[in-house]
Amino acid sequence: MSRSYDRALTVFSPDGHLFQVEYALEAVRKGTCAVGVRGKDVVVLGVEKKSVLQLQDPRTVRKVVMLDDHICLAFAGLTADGRVLIDKARIECQSHRLTVEDPVTVEYITRHIAGIQQRYTQSGGVRPFGISTLIVGFDPQDTKPRLYQTEPSGIYSAWKANAIGRSSKTVREFLEKNHKDDLSRDEAIKLTIKSLLEVVQTGAKNIEISVMESYGKITNLDLEQIEAIVSEIEKEKEAEAERKRSRLAATAASQASMTSRASGGGEEPAQ
Amino acid sequence: MNSFANRFSTTDHLRELKRAQANIEDDEFSDAAWGSEAGFGSLAKGVPTFSVPAVPDPSAFLRLHTDDHADPKCRIKIQHGTTTLAFRYKGGVIVAVDSRATAGSYVASGTVKKVIEINPYLLGTMAGGAADCQYWETYLGIHCRLHELRNRERISVSAASKYLSNLVYSYKGMGLSMGTMICGWDKTGPAIFYVDSDGTRLKGDLFSVGSGSTFAYGVLDQGYRWDLPDEEAQELGRRSIYAAGHRDAFSGNTCNLYHVKEDGWHFIGNYDISKLHYDGPDNVDGAGYGYDVRVGTRS
Amino acid sequence: METSFALTGNGYVIVAADTTAARSIVKMKIDEDKIKTLSSHLLMAHSGEPGDTIQFAEYVERNIRLFQIRNNYALRPSAAASWIRRSLAQSLRSRHPYAVNLLLGGYDTAEDQPHLYWIDYLGTSTEVPFGAHGYGSYFALSLLDRYHDPNATLEEGLATLRRCVDEVSKRLVVSPGKYKVKVVDKDGTREIEF
Repeated sequence: MSRSYDRALTVFSPDGHLFQVEYALEAVRKGTCAVGVRGKDVVVLGVEKKSVLQLQDPRTVRKVVMLDDHICLAFAGLTADGRVLIDKARIECQSHRLTVEDPVTVEYITRHIAGIQQRYTQSGGVRPFGISTLIVGFDPQDTKPRLYQTEPSGIYSAWKANAIGRSSKTVREFLEKNHKDDLSRDEAIKLTIKSLLEVVQTGAKNIEISVMESYGKITNLDLEQIEAIVSEIEKEKEAEAERKRSRLAATAASQASMTSRASGGGEEPAQ
Repeated sequence: MNSFANRFSTTDHLRELKRAQANIEDDEFSDAAWGSEAGFGSLAKGVPTFSVPAVPDPSAFLRLHTDDHADPKCRIKIQHGTTTLAFRYKGGVIVAVDSRATAGSYVASGTVKKVIEINPYLLGTMAGGAADCQYWETYLGIHCRLHELRNRERISVSAASKYLSNLVYSYKGMGLSMGTMICGWDKTGPAIFYVDSDGTRLKGDLFSVGSGSTFAYGVLDQGYRWDLPDEEAQELGRRSIYAAGHRDAFSGNTCNLYHVKEDGWHFIGNYDISKLHYDGPDNVDGAGYGYDVRVGTRS
Repeated sequence: METSFALTGNGYVIVAADTTAARSIVKMKIDEDKIKTLSSHLLMAHSGEPGDTIQFAEYVERNIRLFQIRNNYALRPSAAASWIRRSLAQSLRSRHPYAVNLLLGGYDTAEDQPHLYWIDYLGTSTEVPFGAHGYGSYFALSLLDRYHDPNATLEEGLATLRRCVDEVSKRLVVSPGKYKVKVVDKDGTREIEF
């Protein structure tokens, strides 16, 4: 039948690429940054918030949403697409409870979301979702925090820490350098904020942090708390810079003295 | 009723059925063309569909031709009389059943397997329509395995029983007749769920189903406690089935006994109920369960 | 025989339901919970056709929860009653209607008022000061007409409920053995040892 080949919008290019899917990834790269960090028994989601316009109600713009009592999701990319996908996921969470009696596991809902995203790369008359998601939570009757990522192509994977959206590569590299296993709650929050500050220049007011500590225990940090951590980080950075500068000065001085000694000068340089 | 529950559920089987039908309509080549139905035939695609008699009310049609109380002359007789029981105690789950199949007043078979081995950790019992139980519990087994493959862990007894209960509920009023206990051991320990074709699903410690259940309850309730030793628990199950086999005309022949432990179910044995009456389980003359054997000359 | 009662009082609703699950002449279970907690301030007792009751109650439970997750606030009792009534009315006009009778008790945290709705399988919904379903209602309704006080304290309310339960066990041929009793007030829902 003729309808089998001409109904798909997403078709392979001759060299095996699905351009629509790659463009969707491009939309993700333009979206605001989101970071997820898994600690010892805590998992933290941090997102970059767009500045709210003067007359806008900030409560209506949310980038970290609850899927069920024990699962949170953050996304990067087209916000409108996100809303649709989130609603599908929320329905599945309740539907799963209805049909199997147990709440979903984090992997199950991730797989479900990724499955929906995949379907939109292989069906006729639709376009892929322009979002990547970070999904965090705890499995029922389990204490291990989980962090998963999904992409427009429908790929999903588990992570210790990851970033999606604008400059995610920089942030991921930062996380790779600084993430340790078994981070405590405070360390995990700090690492999340620190990594976000790599791309968010405007500081605390454009950062949103959600912390999940155990099954169903979710807290959103308020602005003051985030500000406190940001200023702490800045202080550390300054101290670090100060140390660097003095070390630099010291080496410069010692080099200077070495050259002067080599040239016949006799004084020991002060440390 | 169902169309409406389905609106929000993507995991339920009716949706799967619709999807399967859509698949069939959509595909130019069925999977059979590729020889990939893996031996399941229509089972490979969602819920199999039945040809329903072309009458306005299929269940009334079925009732008319199967109900042997209203009309003993009707041709189709469904296996009904049974005694099955299961109980949960500290050492696991004991499942005991009789083995008689009756069609009307005729004993069709005395060697029926009324415990359905769904998988090494799950047992289902059979009361009501033999075919319905056998078919749907085997079908449940397929889905338990698929669950295992998809989620990398064994299905809980609760989820398996819920799957079955949702399944039979969707056929409510269409003539299914089952009263079953889904028994097993999962992360939460030993568990029993009673599921019947009304759509009822009950979690509990002790159930008995079938025409002889009242007789079984009489012995079972009196002898049951949580901390029974394994030997006594098995004895209780056996003795309760014997009691029903003795008193209920539609139950009898032999007793099949299973024990579910943490490492899955074990078949304990098959006991002839007449032998139990006179000689007891260990074949000792005069050690039988029967009243006159037990009381002896005192009566 | 299945029986459920509910009554309002000063700032609370008491919902009570028997705990037996029977099949023909056999009690299959004597500790079945027939009162669902739909949200922090909403209780629903369900009775009727076996199978339908649980299926419908769980369907309602999940949809009420879905609403809460989607909108970040819970349905008020009056809104929940309307939604449930409409669901039942729609199902009544489908091929397989749910045969379920409900008592919906909730506490409206916005206006600090307890509410009780009596809903039957035909899709009738009405707000009542007290209500009952099942055979027990034939004894309890007249009793409650005589003794119910909308301003009663919780203790007085429970005493009135005790009258209902005692009357039913005195006069009904096969009266239920045990009841589960739940209360909803400004602090949320809780079970009460009765």
